[in-house]
Amino acid sequence: MATLERQVGHTPTLVPSKELPGWLGWLTTVDHKKIGIMYIVSAFFFFLIGGIEALLMRVQLGVPENTFLSPDVYNQMFTMHATTMVFLAIMPLNVGFGNYVVPLMIGARDMAFPRLNALSIWLFIFGGLMLYLSFIVGGAPAAGWFAYAPLSTKVFSPTNGMDYWVVGLTITGVASIAGAINFIVTIINMRAPGMTFNRLPLFAWMTLIVSFLLIFAFPSLTVAQVQLLFDRNFGTGFFLPERGGDPLLWQHLFWFFGHPEVYILILPAMGIVSEVLPTFSRKPIFGYAFVAYSGVAIGFLGFTVWAHHMFAVGLGPLANAIFSAGSFLIGVPTGVKIFNWIATIYGGSINLKSPFYFAAGFVAMFVIGGISGITLASPPLDLQQTDSYYVVAHIHYVLFGGAIFGLFAGAYYWFPKITGRMLNDRLGKIHFWLMLISMNVTFFPMHILGTEGMPRRYYTYEAGMGWEVWNLLETIGAFAMAFSILIFIFNVVSSLKHGERAEADPWDGATLEWAVSSPPPAHNFDRTPVVHSRRPLWDTKYPDLEVAHEAGSHGMKRSEAVKQDQVHHVEGDEAIHLPSPTFAPIIVSFGVTVLGFGLLYLGTSGGMTAIAMVVGLVIMGYGIVRWVRDAHADLPQH
Amino acid sequence: MSFRRRPPRWLLLATMAGAALILSACGADLPATTTSPAGTHARRIYELLVPIFWIALAVFVVVEAILIYSVIRFRRRPDSGIPTQIHGNTMVEIGWTIAPALILLVIAVLTFRTQAIQSVQPADAIRIKAIGHQWWWEFRYEDRSIVTAGDLYVPVGRDVTLELEAVDVIHSFWVPKLAGKTDTIPGKTNLITFQAEKEGVFRGFCAEFCGEQHAVMRFRVVAVQPDVFEQWLQEHSVAPPAPSEEVQQVFVTRACVSCHAIDGFEQAVGQTGPNLTYFGSRLTIAGGALPNTPDNLRRWLQDPEAVKAHNKMAATIGPGKVQLTPDEIELLVSYLGEQKVSVPIPAEQ
Repeated sequence: MATLERQVGHTPTLVPSKELPGWLGWLTTVDHKKIGIMYIVSAFFFFLIGGIEALLMRVQLGVPENTFLSPDVYNQMFTMHATTMVFLAIMPLNVGFGNYVVPLMIGARDMAFPRLNALSIWLFIFGGLMLYLSFIVGGAPAAGWFAYAPLSTKVFSPTNGMDYWVVGLTITGVASIAGAINFIVTIINMRAPGMTFNRLPLFAWMTLIVSFLLIFAFPSLTVAQVQLLFDRNFGTGFFLPERGGDPLLWQHLFWFFGHPEVYILILPAMGIVSEVLPTFSRKPIFGYAFVAYSGVAIGFLGFTVWAHHMFAVGLGPLANAIFSAGSFLIGVPTGVKIFNWIATIYGGSINLKSPFYFAAGFVAMFVIGGISGITLASPPLDLQQTDSYYVVAHIHYVLFGGAIFGLFAGAYYWFPKITGRMLNDRLGKIHFWLMLISMNVTFFPMHILGTEGMPRRYYTYEAGMGWEVWNLLETIGAFAMAFSILIFIFNVVSSLKHGERAEADPWDGATLEWAVSSPPPAHNFDRTPVVHSRRPLWDTKYPDLEVAHEAGSHGMKRSEAVKQDQVHHVEGDEAIHLPSPTFAPIIVSFGVTVLGFGLLYLGTSGGMTAIAMVVGLVIMGYGIVRWVRDAHADLPQH
Repeated sequence: MSFRRRPPRWLLLATMAGAALILSACGADLPATTTSPAGTHARRIYELLVPIFWIALAVFVVVEAILIYSVIRFRRRPDSGIPTQIHGNTMVEIGWTIAPALILLVIAVLTFRTQAIQSVQPADAIRIKAIGHQWWWEFRYEDRSIVTAGDLYVPVGRDVTLELEAVDVIHSFWVPKLAGKTDTIPGKTNLITFQAEKEGVFRGFCAEFCGEQHAVMRFRVVAVQPDVFEQWLQEHSVAPPAPSEEVQQVFVTRACVSCHAIDGFEQAVGQTGPNLTYFGSRLTIAGGALPNTPDNLRRWLQDPEAVKAHNKMAATIGPGKVQLTPDEIELLVSYLGEQKVSVPIPAEQ
């Protein structure tokens, strides 16, 4: 925002932001750090719910012919488990860390659009709660998170669950797109002087790539969802063959979103790992450009491979071969990243603390998910493996072994920065080992089950198929995994109270978030930092350290490199102006949600719907007016 | 320490033991395993899997070994200073970009070769229609006017091309030992060709989530010698004798006829449920929910909802709806169980 900094007298002064006390402070905040914390806490809450859904499914599958859950409830569980983990847990956890850390990393005082940022968090929370409300009002969606038509149309899914799914996710989708725009503008425009793209921390790089993916991928989902809403409620037939529609249209639209979505989930974790491994190895990342650009390559190629989710639908051998080749190709940049991470720790001086454990665990587990992904990219193999437990194993190695391990690495890494306290490292390591072992006990046998012919999304299976032992083992593993999460929660709660106080830079970090106190002041930086290299903090800490491009080549002291760097930044005497808290974003979000409820019942109960829509629009309109006034009142000239 | 110079031996042993365990687990001849194929389609896939599995295992072992070695070897010690600061090495990086590309090229060539063979639909293949319904499978031998359900009879050693269709939602046809999956999609006909290589009864599943009873949409493929297959076709294409007056009355008054058809029984023309001709020879009932025994059939006719929740028959038949009397059930059980073809059923594989 243009209002962030301005020129005044001679001494930098802080215009204090008028934070409201207590809960109101959280409801009205526009501070990227508070919003980041709200994202992390609410997404973690959804992560726990998604985990409970998984446990219920594992109880059901622990023994053959079990009747613990009814078929319909089981189908609701796997639909909501996946929807929750993808849209309400991993994505917002990524956004939460991005929100908190990226502005600090790039030397900014906030996100580019702080009020839009607040709108995003509230839309996300309301959208998520709306989705969960479906459990109470007639049943959660049960057509799978992929919601294939015609199963997801009114005839075959008559409850309102699918409508809640459509509208709830559309609302969180708006939040995601607004958030993505915010990240893009922030990262492109608000980098500190000297922080070229070639010096951008890799977590910020990956957040930037993911934001672009979001902007290109989400509209495809939204379009498909709106068409589905119309097919369900207003008599259109986009996906119905008897009305001239095509069920495969849904699959193309969904996977054109759905495959990039996988990279939206995993790339931020890769970014976190690319920060943690160098810090704890005391080395720069190996092959910075390769790591950054392989992220770009993965993001780009991610849009060309969606039909590898559709090898069994009968697209024909040529189409399958082309999408197969594209999918193989993604293996290259992914492999490059893994080699670079290993080369980063190779020859380092590894500080074996919890964040490093989780980051190394990420690499170890992601390799497995990557390898099983290669077999799935081969159409003939895919025909035996798709829709079997083999795929369930694959996605959990990528999203749990990958994304979740990466996020835990980030949690242990940045917890001191965010809270000012250290997490207990011993408990962290117990958490790590239990989670690593139990995830393998849970997910590895799924490769075997799939190979032995067990289809996925089955609420029951016959005895005597040879599947019993593995299923029971998986159920035990799932509970052990849940226990490891409880250890983490205990660690967080006890460390918040009694944890060791964190210094500004507890890990000997290299990026700018470690240059400010823990937790950072509301305005982040007293003075805008000036950046001369990829490791700005190390420049000041280790001026005499020599850096070489390759082993054996001539090195240069960091202080000399800094001197040679052509960044001319005349630090103005700036008063720091932070935008004031405002109720406008939460009001607008609430109005949008009420409007969404109206949309939901438009086909079934006209009168109530009309009232809900009018009320929603009025609330939204009031919120927008208030938004404009608050923004105007906040101008520094005022 | 011993592992400061080379990777620890126990690690290698553990990996090999693990791989052996997985191979033996997958290698066991289970009812639905993909690793002991008995059909051409499944066999070609398995033969593609084997080399790719070894490549994958090699990549896995090498990468994980280097990772674990690096973590142990380069852990911080009291005397560790700041390590040499290396940003990268262009040649090495180009090298390890090309290496995975070459491995993937090999896998791609193997893949496309298999794909090319699998996509051929021979003109002389026997064509059978397989139609997915919520939640059972219908099989139609149209040139012989045979409509059946639950059991797909195929001859050993002959190419069979299935024309896959669906009437309601998307399903997927999967017989792990014979052929990989192909979806059945409303408004579309997909083809898959395979050949059963030996006699047997093979397990089949619906592999695309299709609603509440997706898990109970099972079928059997009965692969028999060509002469037996011909015998089955001939017997099945002759209508069985029409049922007795009493049975006919139950069928009509209880409205069975509005959903079920039976060859040679004029009033029974319904199309929404399975055709019941030669029901007695079917291996399972209710979309594979239960083995076809008189007791199970009684349970089913008594209360279909209790056997398989929300199946279509349960919408009209059962306690609180149209309740068949015990006498009626006995009539139906004996009539349906008696219509049989004389073809011997091979062993379960």
